[in-house]
Amino acid sequence: MNIIVYIKQTFDTEAKIVLDANGKIDANGVNLIINPYDEYAIEEGIRLKEKFGGEVTVVSMGGASVQTAIRTALAMGVDKAVLVSDPALENSDEWTNAEILAKAVSQIPYDIILAGRIAIDDGASQIAVRLAEILNIPSISSVLKLDITGTEATATREIDGGTELIEVSLPVVITAQKGLNDPRYPSVAGIMKAKKKPLQTLTLADLGFGDIALKMNVDKFSLPTPRQAGRKIAGEAAQAAQELARLLREEAKIL
Amino acid sequence: MAAATREVYWNIEGEHWLYLLFIIALVVFAYGVYKRVILWRLGQPENRTKEVGQGVKDLFTYGLFHKRILKDSYPGLMHLGLFVGFIVLAFATAIITLQADAGFQIFHGYLYLFIKLTSNLFGLIAVLAIMAFAYRRYIQRPDRLDNKPDDAITLSLLFIILVTGFLIQGVRIAAIPDPWAAWAFVGQWMAIPLKTMFNQAQLLSLHRFLWWFHLSLAMTFIAYFSHSKLFHILLGLANQFLRKRGPIGIPEPIDFEDESLETFGKSQLREFSWKTLFNTDACIRCGRCQDNCPAYLSGKHLNPKKIIQDMKALMEETGAAVSDAKKVAIATQAADQEATASDESEEWTGRALIGEVIPEEDLWACTTCRSCEQQCPIFVEHVDKTIDMRRNLVLMETRFPSEAQLAFKNMENNGNPWGIGWSTRADYITSLGVKTFDEDPEAEYLYWPGCSGAFDARNQKVSAALVKLLNAAGVHFAILGNEEKCCGDSARKLGNEYLFFSLATENIEVMKGHGVKKIITQCPHCYNLLKNEYPQLGGDFEVIHHTVFLLDLVKSGKLKLNQSAGKSITYHDSCYLGRYNQIYEQPRELLKAVGLEIKEMAHTGEKSFCCGAGGGRMWLEENEGQRINEMRTDEAIAVKTDYVGTACPFCLTMIVDGIAAREVGETLKALDIAEILEKVI
Amino acid sequence: MAKGIFIIVEQRNLQIRKVSLELLSQGRKVADETGETLVAVVLGHGIDVLAQTVTASGADKVILIDNEKLAEYTTGAYTSVLNKLIRKEEPQAVLMGNTAIGKDLAPRLAQRLGVGLASDCTGMEIDAKNFLSFKRPVYAGKAFAYLSSNVRPILATIRPNTFKAEAPDASRQAEIVKETAEIDSADLRAILKEVAIAASKRPDLTEANIIVSGGRGMKGPENYVILEALADVIGAAVGASRAAVDSGWKEHKFQVGQTGKTVAPTLYIACGISGAIQHLAGMGSSKFIVAINKDPEANIFNVADYGIVGDLFDVVPVLTEEFKKLVKE
Repeated sequence: MNIIVYIKQTFDTEAKIVLDANGKIDANGVNLIINPYDEYAIEEGIRLKEKFGGEVTVVSMGGASVQTAIRTALAMGVDKAVLVSDPALENSDEWTNAEILAKAVSQIPYDIILAGRIAIDDGASQIAVRLAEILNIPSISSVLKLDITGTEATATREIDGGTELIEVSLPVVITAQKGLNDPRYPSVAGIMKAKKKPLQTLTLADLGFGDIALKMNVDKFSLPTPRQAGRKIAGEAAQAAQELARLLREEAKIL
Repeated sequence: MAAATREVYWNIEGEHWLYLLFIIALVVFAYGVYKRVILWRLGQPENRTKEVGQGVKDLFTYGLFHKRILKDSYPGLMHLGLFVGFIVLAFATAIITLQADAGFQIFHGYLYLFIKLTSNLFGLIAVLAIMAFAYRRYIQRPDRLDNKPDDAITLSLLFIILVTGFLIQGVRIAAIPDPWAAWAFVGQWMAIPLKTMFNQAQLLSLHRFLWWFHLSLAMTFIAYFSHSKLFHILLGLANQFLRKRGPIGIPEPIDFEDESLETFGKSQLREFSWKTLFNTDACIRCGRCQDNCPAYLSGKHLNPKKIIQDMKALMEETGAAVSDAKKVAIATQAADQEATASDESEEWTGRALIGEVIPEEDLWACTTCRSCEQQCPIFVEHVDKTIDMRRNLVLMETRFPSEAQLAFKNMENNGNPWGIGWSTRADYITSLGVKTFDEDPEAEYLYWPGCSGAFDARNQKVSAALVKLLNAAGVHFAILGNEEKCCGDSARKLGNEYLFFSLATENIEVMKGHGVKKIITQCPHCYNLLKNEYPQLGGDFEVIHHTVFLLDLVKSGKLKLNQSAGKSITYHDSCYLGRYNQIYEQPRELLKAVGLEIKEMAHTGEKSFCCGAGGGRMWLEENEGQRINEMRTDEAIAVKTDYVGTACPFCLTMIVDGIAAREVGETLKALDIAEILEKVI
Repeated sequence: MAKGIFIIVEQRNLQIRKVSLELLSQGRKVADETGETLVAVVLGHGIDVLAQTVTASGADKVILIDNEKLAEYTTGAYTSVLNKLIRKEEPQAVLMGNTAIGKDLAPRLAQRLGVGLASDCTGMEIDAKNFLSFKRPVYAGKAFAYLSSNVRPILATIRPNTFKAEAPDASRQAEIVKETAEIDSADLRAILKEVAIAASKRPDLTEANIIVSGGRGMKGPENYVILEALADVIGAAVGASRAAVDSGWKEHKFQVGQTGKTVAPTLYIACGISGAIQHLAGMGSSKFIVAINKDPEANIFNVADYGIVGDLFDVVPVLTEEFKKLVKE
């Protein structure tokens, strides 16, 4: 089976967000990780390879730092990697990224494409589904369980308040929700082998892209006002509870 | 007096047959030794004969003078009784042999009387000791002793040899006059009833019979020696001689730059060194390790004695599978030659060491407190094997508790096991007014708060207290700030040597970059690692634990303390401060200096009961049995003091949790030594 | 010339989701201010009955697309139908709730339409240049991005509880239009076999106005009944912190936090939750936060508007009684 996993390198969840002189998010000194939801996708891809044989290719976009994320994926068991790297990617939007990704992916044979359902930096949750649309294949998002027999995939998808069971023929794009699997920890042997696995870097020109015309613009960023600490209500349980109920009604006007 | 003697071989004919018996016994003995040597040689080479002088000293301290054996006075004294009896009788036999076989006429006069008296006295004590052994093992049945046929055989053998020896003496004294019989007082006592029971001819026959019987048993002893627990007599001494010296518990480093390394950690018995395998044979199943293991005592399946014995069983299975021709090759190969790696035909197909012989959960249950190793009279090394196997599980199999994976990832991404943003590490400490080395490059000391001191709310209070004390004493110190990463102790002890390697090398580089020479830390794990393990990777610093440093400040008058009015405290010895680094007294001296009354818990000092957080277990869930920290808290509660004193952030956390679980927070408070001092300066 | 603001109304089993009503209310305000028409688009089967509700909530026009293939949501069918409709009607903007459906439908639709998408927005303003500007949280709410587009239609998904659903006005009238569904067969490749909705009277966690949440301090799964009792009195949803989910006391679907659900209720009551940063990331934008915790030093008190330092096992039952009194009044 030919498996493609699309991953994104994001800021670590604990990163302090500051704006630089240009009002953009400052990436200086920020620790970078594989988007946690993409780890489920990588793990699922490797499990499919272990079950059906074949190859897993990881695809990503970004600067040189993304290579660390790619090497981790290779250390987990992915076979090869493609990285689209170009300074023009700094000013892009989801439409453009999806188009670029589709070009890169089309050069690789695939039976299934896996990605995380959302990236923890922009939280936009668009690329993988857009990719499926461009490639004209079905997409199933937020998958909790995936079973594949032959060329048929059955996915359990998380919806508000429940789940859906969907059947579809391959190829398909699947976005992974937390709980799909437990991503493995890369072994040291894996880390050593990863250094030698093939990583192909492509620029936008290599993919035949010219200038980028954005469909959605980010006009500016802002930081939230820090929350003020509130009040501690004194007294024994009964007293305090009474006071709280009163405050919620009269001050907060909720109940 | 010079005439005091007895006729050697009196009433005995054909005594030269004893030499034949002796040779047969020696051959059987030698064969036994050979069989065991083959097994030890299955392991990898390791040089243990580096400190011969110290080794000889250890033989005296731990062997002859029973230093650790006597710490458990009940079985310890019993053993001493048998041990001394054995030595005295061996000495007596040696003298007689010199006279009988080498012709040195020495067995007379004062020497004779001395030998008679001591043999009787200590021989009797030895007999009583054996009876006490048997009583303890078979009637009292303590949990830590398991019984095998070998135990009964050995005890019986020794008992009968000794008793028959006395009987022979008694029969002789009954049969012929002996002016010095009073010196052989046991024989003299026995002669009284013997004389009334038997006539002269019967006595003579009985004597001959007993003599040959006793001799046969003695020869059996020699032959059986290397096939039974009796071998511990030599192996135990050897283990004491060959023990690891220097700071305890330092794992072997792995050179990840070495491209030729294919395996990391150990999963096969044969990957361990010959000394590891030797350990399993030297172990006499005394059970002191088991009796002091916090995991075992809290109901986990882990049992350090069982691990050693199970490895011994696997060693024997492995040996049995090796072909006879191979055995000879192994026995005769050069001592430093790598044991021939298992080739295709030698793939081990028997029970897997990890999983079948030792369940994986046992490997994770260990807190690396090393009480097992501390109590072991013959220095069996339990914990290193556990860490080696953990390394295999983490670095090769990637099969380990999932909570550990989160801790690893957090250390990788943010330099602390909680995964709190690395860029906030310095926030709390700098809010106390402390400068970083960047701001104050001339600082004399590096203050290393560690992850807990920087991030954990409860331990931040300890940092605040320590900073206040250091400032009051005029100490010039600075922190690394956000450049400081987790020292790597949890990673290393959980088996993730790769992560430890990356954390440690980064820390060392940063510290060297700032020209750091002296480090003060409040965490014994950081202390132990920075002091004893960082040198492996090129980090040589002078590292001081805060309690030692504070005591120095108090003694030199730089820190003045008031008295703490009439309160009592029990001090919990942290494993990594106490057993690992022998720092027991300094914290107690500080407590005395502020006028606190110190009461000790049931397990104290070298036997201190682990809080349960070591070995990376701080980050793992406890799923079986009782919670170790609650057991330790119960011990503290039982002493009925106002405070529990700690000197370790993990211990403090665990005991605070224990106090909360037992809901005694009103009457018992857990405080770090620094916090106690800070209240009274 | 692009005209009109489309609200894609979400319904399940002929129940309209609250977020759609919120968008209609807000859309009404924007329509009034900009002179645009507010159009409610409803897809489903047997949906005629819903026209009244969306009209009362502010729609000028209601487009009903009724087809049995649309009875349950599928990515392909809904994308196909909406794509054709939007290309035909050419609205200025298309808004929908950032629900499970919205998250799945909007990107596919955006790509098919060849437009950008502002997803999970927590603010919307009228923009002089680009008609609408959106505010959305990035980096788990540690920063906000402001987006706008000059491409039409503008497509955006809005986070539930961002806007207020105004009281319905039954006197309102709207133009009701029925469109036929045109679904390409290529869009019917994925087959929906089964929908399993957990039967619970409690509101969905992501939609709820009030959430009562329990953490490590709950000490065990059996104790959540006291939170549920409290929740049921005030019509709240029940949530859990990661510590509780990791301990197996509650399923992952109840988890609020960085790696669970992001919620923005009006009131969040945190019981026995320490307030680690990962949890705050999931509920930090709650309007009011109440914390009940034994530990006076717990971080949650730093973000709580009202805090009670006490044993939740003492406080929660008493609070339940107090709330019962309030609800009665």
